Amino acid sequence: MTSTEIMSDSAKIDSISPILEILPDFPISGQRCSLRIQQHLDLMLLAIEALEIGAAEAMVKTAKELGLGGIIKNRLVFWRLRCTNPWRLSYNRGILTLNEAKALVILTSYRAKTLTVPIRQLLIAEQQMRDKGLPVDTNFLLVDYLERFRSHFISRMNPRRAKVSVYLASEDALNELALRLLNQILFCTGTTGLQRFWISLFDGEVL
Amino acid sequence: MNLKRQYILPNCTLTLEGLSTDFGGTNATLSVLTNAQCQFINSKKIIYGGRAFVENLVRAVSAYAQECLSGVRPPGETNASEDQIHLESLGSRGHRLTWHPSPDANESESPVILDLTTVELFDLVEAVDQLVNDQRTLPDITPVLQPVSRRYRQVEEPVAKKAVPLALGFGSLALSALAFYFLPFAEIRKPEIKPPVVTPSQTTPVPQNLP
Repeated sequence: MTSTEIMSDSAKIDSISPILEILPDFPISGQRCSLRIQQHLDLMLLAIEALEIGAAEAMVKTAKELGLGGIIKNRLVFWRLRCTNPWRLSYNRGILTLNEAKALVILTSYRAKTLTVPIRQLLIAEQQMRDKGLPVDTNFLLVDYLERFRSHFISRMNPRRAKVSVYLASEDALNELALRLLNQILFCTGTTGLQRFWISLFDGEVL
Repeated sequence: MNLKRQYILPNCTLTLEGLSTDFGGTNATLSVLTNAQCQFINSKKIIYGGRAFVENLVRAVSAYAQECLSGVRPPGETNASEDQIHLESLGSRGHRLTWHPSPDANESESPVILDLTTVELFDLVEAVDQLVNDQRTLPDITPVLQPVSRRYRQVEEPVAKKAVPLALGFGSLALSALAFYFLPFAEIRKPEIKPPVVTPSQTTPVPQNLP
């Protein structure tokens, strides 16, 4: 299946996903997402994968439950949508439509809601380590998350990208990125977290 | 009818007291606010006020939560007016909430400063979101969710960082210019013009048989 076929298929079924209408549209050029948005969406999903073993399978299942099966049909399509992140080794130069981006945002927010308790525990542990002046990766709760995140990042991102190489060169920088994403995921879990996450993606993008 | 609504989160409790103009029992709409307070469990500190306080709290907290997600700082009011609430990041040390109480409030210190962890801040955001989404409490307070304009986007790299390669370029040019300055000039010598030497060549006459 080529990427153009996937895009056209999803465009046909986009119109019948009522859940997408809970997120507003914005006047952006071509109704397509910027590379920055694509990169950020993939990194947020990567952080969720580091929180939960078998998250990719669970995400595809959640997508079907939420009526997003038209956009995210299977793991392959899901992977291709995520490969629009320019940092990826398997970057496919695709551009997400607004509905595809909405689907990924809804998926991120719903999966994050189910993980609220571990996210809070990890962030409390992070704060305790910082208050004591200890390195964050020595905490038994945080070390699992950070190790999984680093492993996913190293295996999937392109080291020839300048920013990726900066993260790959320093374990601390990668840990900071993982924790920054964890902080952001917490804000996606609240009552208005989904809408706020979607709107925040367009901060600095609209006129 | 007097009403009291509470939004209880693990680290923060937002309490609103007011009056209802309709008689709907416990489901009556709290439309006139008399007092609002927000208590933080860990620090035991309380911030409070009237309607202006709630409006400022909703605006500041919602905008800051969006800033935490995107990293783009929205344009904010810089004047320290009454009941103004300001939130700022302390980097990895958490977040700072600054409240400028009105002169009516019996506060010894002004402004009141609270340092919050990310989880405490999230609980405050959640309490405010639950209030905004509660149609039975101050239904005229609406969420202020909209993307920040392109004008307020910070450049990814500060100017000082961007200037480093430029300075390095000029520096290396100056150094190389200095090094070349001390190199001796090449002497200009005119090419020597040698007169062409004509060497006599012997020719042997070819005998021709003339008729």
